[in-house]
Amino acid sequence: MNEDNAWLLVASLALPLAMLIAGLVPGWRRHLSAWLVVAPLPALAAALLVVEAPPLVLDEAGLKIGLALDQPGALLLGVAALLWSAAGAYAWRYLRGDSSEGRFVVYWLLSLTGCLGVFLAADLVSFYLFFGLVSLAAYGLVVHDGTPRARHAAVVYIALAVFGEACLLLAFVLLAAATPGESLLIRDVVAALPSSPLRDQTLAFLLLGFGLKAGLLPLHLWLPLAHPAAPMPASAVLSGAIIKTGLFGLMIFLPFGAELPGWAWGLTTVGLVTALYGALIGLFQANPKTVLAYSSISQMGVATAILGMGLALGEAAAVLVAAFYAAHHVLVKGALFLAVGVVAATGRRRLWPVLLPTAVLALGLGGLPLTGGFLAKLVAKPWLDEGLVGLVATLSAVATTMLMVHFLRRLLANLAVEPMNRAPLGLILPWAGLAVAALFVPWVLYARVLAAADPTEVLTMAYLLAAAGPVLAGLALGLILVRWGNRLPPIPEGDVGVWGERAVRATFAWGRPLARLDAVLRQWPAAGLALLTLALLLGLSMLGGP
Amino acid sequence: MIDPGPTLTMATTADGYLLVLALVLPVVVAVAAPLVGGRRAADLFLLLIPAGLLVAVGIVVAVVRADAALLYLLGGWAPPLGVALRADGLSAALLLTSALVIGMIGLYARPAFATPTGTKEARAPLAFWTLLPALWGGLNAVFLSNDLFSLYVALELLTFTAIPLVCLDGRAETLGAALRYLLFALVGSALYLLGTALLYGAYGTLDIVLLAGRIGTEPTALIAIALMTVGLLAKTALFPLYLWLPPAHAGAPAAASAVLSGLVVKASLFIVMRLWLDLLPGLATTWGAQLLAALGAAAILFGSVLALRQARLKMLIAYSTVAQIGYLFLMFPLVAAPAMAGLGGADALTGGTLQIVSHALAKAAMFLAAGLMAEALGHDRIAGLGGLGRALPLTLATFALAGLSLMGLPPSGGFLAKWLLLTAAIVAGQWWWALVMLAGGLLTGAYLYRVLVAALAAAPEPAIRYRPIARWRELVPLVLAVCSVLLGLVAFAPVDLVPIGRP
Repeated sequence: MNEDNAWLLVASLALPLAMLIAGLVPGWRRHLSAWLVVAPLPALAAALLVVEAPPLVLDEAGLKIGLALDQPGALLLGVAALLWSAAGAYAWRYLRGDSSEGRFVVYWLLSLTGCLGVFLAADLVSFYLFFGLVSLAAYGLVVHDGTPRARHAAVVYIALAVFGEACLLLAFVLLAAATPGESLLIRDVVAALPSSPLRDQTLAFLLLGFGLKAGLLPLHLWLPLAHPAAPMPASAVLSGAIIKTGLFGLMIFLPFGAELPGWAWGLTTVGLVTALYGALIGLFQANPKTVLAYSSISQMGVATAILGMGLALGEAAAVLVAAFYAAHHVLVKGALFLAVGVVAATGRRRLWPVLLPTAVLALGLGGLPLTGGFLAKLVAKPWLDEGLVGLVATLSAVATTMLMVHFLRRLLANLAVEPMNRAPLGLILPWAGLAVAALFVPWVLYARVLAAADPTEVLTMAYLLAAAGPVLAGLALGLILVRWGNRLPPIPEGDVGVWGERAVRATFAWGRPLARLDAVLRQWPAAGLALLTLALLLGLSMLGGP
Repeated sequence: MIDPGPTLTMATTADGYLLVLALVLPVVVAVAAPLVGGRRAADLFLLLIPAGLLVAVGIVVAVVRADAALLYLLGGWAPPLGVALRADGLSAALLLTSALVIGMIGLYARPAFATPTGTKEARAPLAFWTLLPALWGGLNAVFLSNDLFSLYVALELLTFTAIPLVCLDGRAETLGAALRYLLFALVGSALYLLGTALLYGAYGTLDIVLLAGRIGTEPTALIAIALMTVGLLAKTALFPLYLWLPPAHAGAPAAASAVLSGLVVKASLFIVMRLWLDLLPGLATTWGAQLLAALGAAAILFGSVLALRQARLKMLIAYSTVAQIGYLFLMFPLVAAPAMAGLGGADALTGGTLQIVSHALAKAAMFLAAGLMAEALGHDRIAGLGGLGRALPLTLATFALAGLSLMGLPPSGGFLAKWLLLTAAIVAGQWWWALVMLAGGLLTGAYLYRVLVAALAAAPEPAIRYRPIARWRELVPLVLAVCSVLLGLVAFAPVDLVPIGRP
C-alpha cells in the first residue's frame, strides 16, 4: 500500500504551493484564509499511509533529489499537520478585520510548505531549501503585528536564522565533500560522516545550525522574543511545529551508532542544562506567551538530552523516543498558545470550561498521570535514568510543573473585562479539537508506533506513583510561588540576549573605519599607489607556491 | 619546446559561422544606427534581440553537441598568421548570458530612450541605441577572441562604448564619474598592452593556444602576466582598485548601470581567467592565486560593509557589485583542487562561471528594478522607499528574488555557485575561503534586508504620488530575476557546459 500512495508526499507540498499560486489572483486572496485548515491535510494523510516507503527520487543516476518519510519523520509530520490545520482554522477567525491578512496568509503558506518539507526531504539540497524557506518565511509571521516589539523580535530572529543557515550550508558542504560518489541523500552522507576527516567540524556546524532553530542554550535568545511577538496562531505553529525542524535535523543528521563519546556527553549536557534553564527563567516572566516560549526551550532540551543519551549508547532507537516526546509537545504547546487567545476573549464567569482542559494539558508537560505527557515522560525515562542525568531530568519535570502553575496564574491575569464574555466559536473549536488531540493522540501513537501493545498496560500503580511524585512536588512549589512569587525580579525576554544585542551594536562601529578607508582608496594617489604595489606583489607572489 | 599539435588540428568547425554572426550582427546594427537615426535604431535593436539570442543559443547547442570548442578561421588562415574565433563551453555560457541580459535591457530601455515625439532627433536616444549594440559586439568579441591582441582590441571597444553610457544625461556629476572611469581604464589598458608586447617579444605569438604550448614560468612571462593582470583588475574594479566603480555605476541611467555591473566588469575578469587558467594553468597553485583570492575576500567583506552603510539605493547596489566581484576571484586558487563528488563532479571553475552568470542576471535585474523604483518615487533614498510594497509589488518581488540569488539561497544559481565554490574550498583544504563566503552571505542578507524592510514599511505620507509604471516594464527585470533564481536547476542538466573544449 505504501508505494501506491507515494504521490501523497508530493501532494503534501503541492497543495500549499497551489494555494499560494491561487493567492496571486487578486479576487481569490481574500478567501484564502478560510482554506488554511485544509492545506496540511495531504501531509496528514501521507503521515498515516506512506511511512517507510522507498524514497521518491527525481534523478536516480545523478544527484538524487527527492522526498522520503521514515517513522520518526512521519510521527512529527502527522502531528505538525494536525497543529497547522487547527491553527489555520483558528487564524481564519483571529485575522478577521486585519488589513494585512493577505500578507499573513502568504507567509503562513510559505512557512507551512517549508515546515512540512523538512520532514519529507530525502537529500541535502531539498532539506536546505525547505529549512531555509520555513526560517525566512517565519519572519513574516513574527513581524506581522508591526509593533516596535514585534519588529525588534523579528530583526533578532532573522539575523540569527540567517546565521544558522550559513552554519548549515557549511555543514552540508562538509558532509557532501566527505561522501564517496555523487549521492546527496541524507542517509548516504550521514553514513559517511563518522569516517570524515573533518567529522568534528561538521558536527559542530550541524549542532550550531540545528541547535539555534531548536532553541538550545546558548542559542535560544531569539526564541522568547519571537514566539510571543507573533499573532496567536502563528505563535502556536512557531513554538509547536517550527522549532521541531531543528530537533528533527539533529535526529536525522547525528550518526547514531558511531563512537562519539565526547559529542554524546556534550549534547546530553546541553540538553539538560537547557531543560532546567528554560523552566527556571520562565518563572520570572509575566507574559503568559513568554512563559510558554521558555517552556518550549526547556522541552526541546529534554528531547535533545534523549538524543544525546542515544548517541552515548549508540542506539538509534532514541530517535523514535525523542520524536514521540516532541510529537506530544507539538500538540500540547499548540493547544496552550491557542488557549491564551481563547482565555483573553473569555470573561470571568465563563472561565472554567476553558481553564480546566488547559490546566490538564499544561500540567501534562510535567508528566501528570493519564495525560499524553505522562506517556512521553514514561517513554523517555529509560533513556534519562542514570545517576546525575536522572536527577536533572526529574528536577526539570518539577520545574516544568512549577512553570505551568505560573503560566496558569499569568493566564488569569489576562481575562476579558466583561465577565459574561464568551470567546467566538471560530477560536474555541480549533482550540478544543487540538486539545482533545493532545490528550488522546499520544496514546494512539504509543500503541501503534512505540510499544505496539496494549497501552493500558502502563496504567499500573507503580508507574502512576512514580509519575505523580515530581508533579506533586512541582504543584506544591508552584503554589508557593503563586503566593509569594510577585517578589521575583523580572528578567527581560531573551535573558542573556540583551547583552548579546549590546555587543552586536558595539561591533557595528567597525563600519566607520572602513568608510574612512573607502574615502582614502577612492582618491587618485591612493589608487595609483595601490595599482603599482599590486603589480609588484603579484609579480613576486607568482614565483612561489604554498 | 614548441608543440606543433594545435596548428595542425586548427580548422573551421561545422557551426563556426555562428561565431561570425555573433560578432557581425551587433556591429552592423551599431554602424547602421547613426545612419538611420535614433528612432529607427531603437526598432532595429528590437530585431537584433531575438536574432542575437538565437545565435547564442545556437552556439551553446553546437558546443554541447560537438562536445568540443567551435572554431572559425577568418579568411581560412590559421594562427599565428590569421585570426581565429573560438568558443569553448565557458565562452558559450557567457555569450548566452550577455544575449539574455542585453536583450532584456534593450526592452526595458525603450521608453527611457525613446526619441520624443515631435523632435526629429535627440542626442541621448541616438547615442544609447548606437552604444548598446556596439557594447554587445565588444562583449561577444572578448568572449570569442583567441589571441591576446584581439582581446585587447575587443576590450578597448567595450571600454569606449561603456564609458559614454555613464554620462548620457550630461550632468557634471556623471561626466566626472565617466572621466574617472576613462582614466583608470586607460591605465589598465596600458598595463595590459605592455604585458602583451613583452609576451610577443619573448615568444613570437599571441595566439592563446599556441602561446600556452611555448610559455613557461620564465621571469619575462611572469612579469608580463602580472602587468596584464593588474591592468585587468583595474578594469574589473577588484578591491582596492574600485575607485571608479561606485560613482559610475550609481550615476549612470538604470539600463546602463545594469549592463555595466552585470556584464562589462565580467569581460576583463574573463581575460584574467584566460590568462591564469588557459595560458599558464600552473599559476593557480602559486601565491599569486592566493593573492587574487585574498583581494577577492577583502572585496567581499569591505564592499558588503560599505553597501550596508549607503544611504542611496543605487550606491548600495554598486557597492554590492564591488563585493560580488570578490567572489569571482575566490575561484583562482581553487581550480587546482581535484574535481569533486556531488553535483555532477563539477569543480571551482563551474562554480565561478555560475557565479558570473547568476550575478549578471541578478545584478542587472536589481539595477533595473531600482531604476523603476527611482522613476516612481523621483529619488532613490533608502529611507524614503516606504510604501513601495503596495505601489510596485512586482518590482519589489524582483528585487527580493535577485537578492535571493545574491545571498545564495536555493534553488538560485547563486546557491549552486556557492555550493561548488565551498566544496572546492573544503576539498582543497583552504577552508578560510569558505568562511569568507559565508560571512559575505550574511552581510549580503543584511544590506538587502535593509532595503526590503524600508520598502515594505508604510508610506511616510499617505498622499504620496507615484509616477505610474507600465506593468510590462515591471515584468522585464522580473524575467531576469526569475532566470537567476532558476539557474540553480542546471545542476540537473545532463552535461556540464563549462569544461567543454578546455585544455
